Amino acid sequence: MTQFLKHSLKEKSDQVKKIREFFFDRGVVEVTTPVLTPHPITDVNIDSISVRVNEGINNVSTLYLHTSPEIEMKRLLAKGSGDIFQICQVYRDNEHGERNFNEFSMLEYYRLDFDMFQLMDEVAELVAELGLSNQVEKLSYNNAFVRYAGIDILKTDFEDLKSFAKENGLSDDFEWIEDLQMFLFVHFVEPNLKQYPICFIYDYPAQQAALAQVEGSVAHRFELYLDGVEVANGYQELQKSGDYRERFQIELDKRKALGKQATMVDEEFLTDLSSPLPFCSGVAIGIDRLLATISL
Amino acid sequence: MANYGTSQFKNGLKLMLDGNPCSIVNNEIVKPGKGQAFNRVKFKDLITGKTLEKTFKSGESLESADVMELDMQYLYNDGEAWHFMDPDSYEQYALDETAMAGAINYLVEQDNCIVTLWDNNPISVSPPNHVVLEVVDTDPGLKGDTAGTGGKPATMNTGVVVQVPLFISIGERVKVDTRTNEYAGRS
Repeated sequence: MTQFLKHSLKEKSDQVKKIREFFFDRGVVEVTTPVLTPHPITDVNIDSISVRVNEGINNVSTLYLHTSPEIEMKRLLAKGSGDIFQICQVYRDNEHGERNFNEFSMLEYYRLDFDMFQLMDEVAELVAELGLSNQVEKLSYNNAFVRYAGIDILKTDFEDLKSFAKENGLSDDFEWIEDLQMFLFVHFVEPNLKQYPICFIYDYPAQQAALAQVEGSVAHRFELYLDGVEVANGYQELQKSGDYRERFQIELDKRKALGKQATMVDEEFLTDLSSPLPFCSGVAIGIDRLLATISL
Repeated sequence: MANYGTSQFKNGLKLMLDGNPCSIVNNEIVKPGKGQAFNRVKFKDLITGKTLEKTFKSGESLESADVMELDMQYLYNDGEAWHFMDPDSYEQYALDETAMAGAINYLVEQDNCIVTLWDNNPISVSPPNHVVLEVVDTDPGLKGDTAGTGGKPATMNTGVVVQVPLFISIGERVKVDTRTNEYAGRS
């Protein structure tokens, strides 16, 4: 047992070392940003864990464990940090599922002057460096739907998509089209991605843009699936403060509609972005899932 | 009849799906990074035997199916139906050809097997993993062959054809694995 533990600790340590070397070789700087932050995340489907501090000195306040280091790293990018990466633990409330936990390891990094496609290529190189060098499949979100569900997801409006769900014996009880899109993706597309050791899905419908740049009906956002398991999520990043305000507000409005905790937009962050983010792409990679797939 | 919500889904749970009783074979909770949690569920339709996949959003529910599995004894076939008896209650049940499905090939009178009841109606039957059948027809055996290499087809008293070793002759009783339809030794 001890031997086994030692071996697996060493294996993980070696892999993390390789990740660091991968970035050092490329001139990407490692950073550490605060885990305790003054604002919870705005994403409607991600919940922050709150922490009460300073009760013993009569100066109580509530802070939040970061759900990813995105906001804090973007502050650095806006200040001119250049290419940066971070490996840290992140925390999320109300997670359930076989592969979801309240705490997990994340690698997040940003590359200046990279578009979404360049970043996908580099993520594939990183994954190969760690030992997974299979052929890389790249599939646009729409092509994935055409191939596995037989519909053009970008041209199907909410009502038609509801009918499609119903015809297939699935629930059509959704408040927003993006939730129904994700539901249909999980049902029709995801099980088929198990056949690809490495698969990128890119160009998400604009409604699922999150914090990615939108062009026409698609957002320049991608996800990496290894053996059908979602491992990474990346964007060609929004740059302007005003765009971030808009996207945060959309999520906060949804949280209000669902009766979930919804605080104020992080004004400090928006002020920090008064000098916009440089053109860049960034990605968050779940290290536990990544390394689990590779060591199989 | 009770309803079960997605949070109560687990393997083996019997639920009604599109009018048929089904059993959960696999229940996977999937939460996309940017999305809400869903249950991707594999079912076995207990009437057709087919596997179905369906995805549910959290909070959806299904009606439970009144399904029971009982040990019963196979009595006889009257030409139309196959009759079974629950040895505890002495209650008898008649199964039609659809419900019998693959079990027809392996049931000999007096054998014990598992009968699945839905709303107290028999819908399927599983024979034991191994049954003893009698060879009613096969080519004459070759003397000296004991290793069972090669083999030959043999027709059993239930009508099913099983590949048996060359040394087996008509009238012998052999053990057959009902899951693979393979010879599993002399009885």
